[in-house]
Formats: sequence, C-alpha cells, structure tokens
Amino acid sequence: MFTTLLDTILFFTVTTPLLDLLAQKIGKKRFAEAYSLLGFIVSIILLPSLYHEVLTEGIIVIKSSILPMGTCFIIDTLSLVMVTIFLLIGLMASIHSIRYMEGDTPLAGYYTMLLCIVAGMIGVALAGDLFTLFIFWEVMCVSSYTLVAFRTGKWAPVEAGYKYLIMSAAGSITILYAMSLLYGMAGTLNIAYLSISLTQAEGGVWTYLSLTLIIVGFGLQAGMAPLHTWLPDAHSAAPSPVSALLSGAMVKTSVYGLIRILVVLFVPMRTEWQVIVAIFAILTMFTGNIVALLQDDVKRLLAFSTVANIGYILIGLATGSLQGLTGCLFQILNHAICKTLLFLCTGSFERQAKTRSLKELAGIWRTMPLTSTAFAIGAVTIAGIPPLSIFWSEVTIILAVSEAGMLLCSAFMIVNMAISAAYCLRMVQLIVVKDVTSTSKNATEAPLSMLIPILILASLSIVIGLFPSSFLAITEKAALAALNIQAYISAVFQG
Amino acid sequence: MIPLTYFLACSMVLYIIGLYCLVVKRNMIRLLIALEIMMNAASLNFIAFSSYGVAGFTHPLAHAFTIMSIGIGGCIIAIGLAITLHAYRHYKTLDVRKLRRLSH
Repeated sequence: MFTTLLDTILFFTVTTPLLDLLAQKIGKKRFAEAYSLLGFIVSIILLPSLYHEVLTEGIIVIKSSILPMGTCFIIDTLSLVMVTIFLLIGLMASIHSIRYMEGDTPLAGYYTMLLCIVAGMIGVALAGDLFTLFIFWEVMCVSSYTLVAFRTGKWAPVEAGYKYLIMSAAGSITILYAMSLLYGMAGTLNIAYLSISLTQAEGGVWTYLSLTLIIVGFGLQAGMAPLHTWLPDAHSAAPSPVSALLSGAMVKTSVYGLIRILVVLFVPMRTEWQVIVAIFAILTMFTGNIVALLQDDVKRLLAFSTVANIGYILIGLATGSLQGLTGCLFQILNHAICKTLLFLCTGSFERQAKTRSLKELAGIWRTMPLTSTAFAIGAVTIAGIPPLSIFWSEVTIILAVSEAGMLLCSAFMIVNMAISAAYCLRMVQLIVVKDVTSTSKNATEAPLSMLIPILILASLSIVIGLFPSSFLAITEKAALAALNIQAYISAVFQG
Repeated sequence: MIPLTYFLACSMVLYIIGLYCLVVKRNMIRLLIALEIMMNAASLNFIAFSSYGVAGFTHPLAHAFTIMSIGIGGCIIAIGLAITLHAYRHYKTLDVRKLRRLSH
C-alpha cells in the first residue's frame, strides 16, 4: 500500500490488539510485548534494503494517483536518517517497557500505541505532501496523548495528558489552518508543486500568515519557548519509556517537519524565517537551561534540558547553510540517543528506588552501579564534554552559526552550553560521588531487560563520540538532501 | 455567488473565536468545543477554496482532506473527553484552573 517499511509497522499496529485477544484466550499473558518487539525488529531489518535502494536510485517517489491531485511518499536520505532514529528509539523503549510496565493494564493497548506512535512518526518522515503529513502527524499526536495519560489511576498523568492534549491539538489545528491557506494559494498540497507556485507568487499577506502559523504549530509540538509549557509536565508524568520516546523522537519529528517545510516551501522568504527561527531558538535555549538549574525532579530536569537542546537544534536550522543543517541533524541524532538513555535510566531508578527526586537518589551509584554509570555517561555527554558525541554536534553548530555571521547567537549558545554543563555535572556529582541516602541504600540493580537498552545506548553514544566523522558524513548527506530542492522537485515531476 | 472573501472572513472569525475560548474559558469540556470550532474553521477554508479555484469545478482533494480531518477531530475529542472523565474523578471539578498540582 505505502512502502514496505510503513506497511509492516502498520500491520503490526493493527494486528497487535486482535492477536493479543486470541492469545489471552489460550493463556499467553505476555503476547503483546513479544509481538510488538517482533514488529520493531522486522521493521529495522527492512531498513538496509531501503537505504540501499535510495543510495543506488536516488530519491524514491511512491504515488497513489496522478500527482498534483493524488498523495505521495518521498524517500530520501534525510527521511531515512529520521526513520532510523525513530525505529531505534522505539525498539529501545519497548525493550525497557517489558519490566517497567509489568503491573499496568491494558498492556496490549500500551504496546499498540507504542507501535502506532512510531508508525505516525515514520509516516511524517516519508510524506511527500501535506495531506499525508497531516494524517500521520495526527496518528502520532493522538497516540501520544493516550500514552502520556496511560496511567489514569494517578492524577499527575491525567492532568499532564489533558494539558498536553489541549495545547498540542491547538498546534495541530494551527498547522491545518496554515495548510488550508497554502492550498488556497496554490490549489495543491504536494510539497514540490507548492514550492514552485510559492516561488512564482509574490509573498503576500497570506504567505506570511501561513509561514507564521506553520512555525507556531510545529514549534509548539517541538517544545519551542514560550509554547513549551506542556513539555515538562507531559515528560515527567508519562511512563519513562514514553518520556524517552517523546523526548527522543516525537519532538524531533516536529523539527523534521519544520526543516522540510521551511527549506523546501518557503524559498522566497528565507531571510524572514531564518530570523524568526533564530529568535525563538535563543529564547528556547535560555528558558530551558535556566529553569533546568532549579529542578529537583530528574525527569523534569531532563525535560527542560530537552527544551534547551531544541534551541540548539533550531539555531542550526536558522543558519540555513549546509554546515548548520548538518550540525542540526547531528545534534538530533546525538540528543535522541542520549536523552533516551537518560530517561530509560531514570525509569530504572524510578522502578528500583521508587523516587525521582535527585536528593533522594544521591549516591545510588553504590547500589545500582551499571545503571548509574550509564546515566553518568549520558549526563556527561549532554553537558558537552569534549570527546563525547554532543560536543561534536554543538561545535559544528557553533562554527556554522559564526560562519553565517550570527556571532551574537553563537555567543549565546556558548553561554548556554556552560549553564547546561553546570546542571549536568551536578546530576553526576549527586548520583556518583555523594553518600548514600536511606532511599538509595535499599535499591537493587535493575533487571537485565532494562539494562540491555541502556547499555546499548550508552555504548552507541560513546562510539559516536570516538568516531564522529562517519556519522557526521551520514548527517551531511541528509542535510545535502534537505537543501537540494531542485533534485527533490525534479524527482517528484519525473516519478 | 457569494464572494470567496466572505468565507475567508468567516473562517478567520471562527478560528479567533476558538482561540479566544481556549484562552479564556475555564470549563474543560468547553475547551474541547473550542478545539472543534477551530478545526471547523480550517475545514471551511478547505471547502471554500476547493470550489473557487477553477470556475465550475470542485477540487476533490480538499473534500477528501476535510472528511479525514473531521474524523481526526472526532478522535481528538474522544480522547479529550476520556481524559476529562478521569480528571473529574481525580479532581471532582471541571474547572481547568484547578489542574495546577504539577507546577507546584
């Protein structure tokens, strides 16, 4: 129907609850977990062939009917890099969920939604027109509302879920409104066709209005200040694997949407959107970092750190240059891996020590050495300490920002990196160096199925830190694909 | 025939009414209705543009999109109502300003 990859993951999404119903009848209680894991693994196995196809044939266009009318999927290097990140994080989150979500019901619903949110993100990454993009965007959003408010027995997830639903739905509707204006101007929703007609048209009021609405709508979901208020609540109240998925992948999907739409669609208004995105980026990084300094709840602290990192990513996008976009995508990759690692570690702490307060978790290194070491690796990486992965991406972004002539922005970013190093190293100091508290004394090391994803992600982030050049080359290819508008448009016309 | 501007103005007004409700109202169910109003504003835009693009021809893409987005709107409202129900069980009120325990 779509691409094999998307078909597979949608097939697993639809069949998980049905087969689980049958499995419950014959007494297989834990069927849904195994089946959804299988779904992620099968999808990951399908990735290399797709990657190979894109490398040999260039951009792949899959269309439903004649093009300006019909819908289409476009697969290029940029979307493949994003899909790889989403699937990796989805797999890690679902492995971690096996023990983390043990006592919760209905588990089949949880794993279905986990598959569904990843399917939505993959759909957004592959969409070639705004119709498809919006449908999959909503698939992603709707499943994330249910995942955030999954533990309805407690008040915190319900409150966070409601807040998140109202804000995020308003953002999605803003995007829909902007799409309707774009449709009115061009008579089509295909991104390539829209790009051509917007280049020919003069930038009137309606174009500016739709540009603003698009930035606000996608920015809201990305956690851009001052619209970030849902993010810390949703991240801290959701189950930890879901927080990891939200912070590592869903927020990045919105950044992907921004990159795709701003770079390809709004070519004539390049300077305008660069300025707007840069202003929001500076605001976002300052808000995130300064508020993160004051937090005691680990998950809230990590959520604010996510806000700050979105600021770094957006400033890379604001340069609009190849190097800036490379840094932006490299930061997306590194931050996704690191933040997932940190949230999963927090999940393990939460399960073993029954607390999320940093003060109470102090000294837990002595009772949970493996998890704490991985947590320390993640925290040091987020702090931007030299040989680790995030340092390389931040340096790439700073160099690109300086090269683009935005010296003030790069100075702001360096200040922010110093602030973030302060709270990240404080976390490391509390977890590793301090004496044990009564809470952390009674904790035991996390079970193996929780350790596996944590150790994989920790080693992955070390590997990226030690050998950044090959990963940088991949993200550079993706950035090149994002900026090569001519190739994108001609692929759609020929395909 | 009614000029296109009227439809655009109408949808803009609907969008602003929705946004106003979202900011000002306190009842949790009213906020969901506000979302629905905003969604209808966008749908109205699509339908108006589909008929006015080419004279005597209605573009089918916008209609397909509108039907899909109405369905999606239904999903959002359904989940919103479900969460509202749970929130009412925990807080015993529908006043959205009482949902402030997390920020403390």
